[in-house]
Amino acid sequence: MALTRVKLERFTAFDSLDLELSPGINVFIGANGTGKTHLMKVCYAACDVSKTGASFSEKLVEVFLPSNRRLGRLVKRRGKSVRGAVEISRKDQSLRTSFSNHTKLARSAQVTGAAKWAASSIESVYIPVKEMLSNAPGFRSLYSQREIHFEAVYADILQRAYKPLLRGPVDQTRKRLLDMQKAVEGKVSLQNEEFFLRNRQGNLEFTLLAEGMRKLGLLWLLIQNGTLSGGSVMFWDEPETNLNPKLFGTVMETLLELQRIGVQIFFATHDYVILKELDLRRKPADEVAFHSLYRSTDGKIECDTVDNYLDIHPNAIADAFDSLYDREVKRSIQGMR
Amino acid sequence: MTSFVERDLQITFNNVKSAQKIDGPSHMLGHCMKAVDFVVELPNCYLYVEFKDPQDPESTDERRQEFVSRFLSGQLDRDFVYKYRDSFLYEWASGKADKPIRYFVLIALDSLDSAALLRRTDALKRQLPLDGPKSNSWTRPIVEGCEVFNIDKWNSHFSDYPIIRLSSHTTPAGGTP
Repeated sequence: MALTRVKLERFTAFDSLDLELSPGINVFIGANGTGKTHLMKVCYAACDVSKTGASFSEKLVEVFLPSNRRLGRLVKRRGKSVRGAVEISRKDQSLRTSFSNHTKLARSAQVTGAAKWAASSIESVYIPVKEMLSNAPGFRSLYSQREIHFEAVYADILQRAYKPLLRGPVDQTRKRLLDMQKAVEGKVSLQNEEFFLRNRQGNLEFTLLAEGMRKLGLLWLLIQNGTLSGGSVMFWDEPETNLNPKLFGTVMETLLELQRIGVQIFFATHDYVILKELDLRRKPADEVAFHSLYRSTDGKIECDTVDNYLDIHPNAIADAFDSLYDREVKRSIQGMR
Repeated sequence: MTSFVERDLQITFNNVKSAQKIDGPSHMLGHCMKAVDFVVELPNCYLYVEFKDPQDPESTDERRQEFVSRFLSGQLDRDFVYKYRDSFLYEWASGKADKPIRYFVLIALDSLDSAALLRRTDALKRQLPLDGPKSNSWTRPIVEGCEVFNIDKWNSHFSDYPIIRLSSHTTPAGGTP
């Protein structure tokens, strides 16, 4: 069941935000520091606890990792005693937590709607900017046994990647999705917690692969093992990182196809080619929402949501190209009189 | 002030020494030389201006398809290059290439955003070419600068040379477009 709404009150960089979500692809764009990753992390935390039954507030601490794990540090700083809140909704259910800036322990935060929320679980995956598969061997046990300073999303993505492949023949939908991943040029396999790419050159360990290729390999794994299937929710922070722009088309086509089979997708991007590939490849029935995050004149973060690429406003990425183009023209016409 | 109408587009040149349409009947070498649409003389340089209007409402599907095909194959860029070079030779032979020349191409296509315009400008610079050989044997460039515009960008940079699309332009009461 797709997420429908996210509401934030005095949470991290946000003063107040009430955002309606698309059941298809949600694209977050905006300058650095406008909260794109934070939005995806709160949504992911809500999805993850629906499956694990863990406390929402404790999961927030794990994915944001505030200093000394003090939940209160996630409240937007105001220099006085204030409360912050996060509320995620799907259809007629809402999961909400609220806490003050003095709250130390996550378990002392107020959480409402948890029981109903956990009654129907959501399969979800969060792909962080940093690639993790090459660091996989031993990481999971290290993370579970020691206090290491890694946000939970890094351990969680490995847990998803380690899931065994689905039994039985590959159905047509997954076959089509996997065919799109031909750019991977091989099959990903797992031996003693270590990931390999098997292709014509042999069995290559992930540490020897280009980082972009490892990302495509991860996507391939998540499709192959059923993590990404109808009803699941995917979060991907900056899919463009370390990928050659020639592969962006394949990635966007794969995301569109996943959306068509019922996967709700969230991704944040700074890249023009990613946006343009999505714009050029989407079909009329595809559900896509572009959420443009920006700071208003009083410094507060606002969000403008549109369905079409050309309607995005403000568009920090296009603004950068406009600035380049305008300076290019000025250089060309310099001295003309 | 000199105005020209090129099918559905009208351009007006204000504050220039002269502005001419050179690819018309007076050119008389159309069988062997291509030509840009307009040559404009300013005190310190010439502007060569070329129009392409794939959104002309009077255009046929066949012409639009031809434009798309030339656009995608790179033939359009080659056309821009040959038009410039032939116009340069034509003007030189007429004793009028005595000042630096800037070449501006208008592609009246709304969907060409800044990123696409930058790419097309860079491609045109490489092919004209803007820079001479690495040997530095050229003592002067064959073109001082070049740029590709859409209508919005043209109008935002050249307030003295406004372009309007006639079919979508409303006539002020008692006035002319």
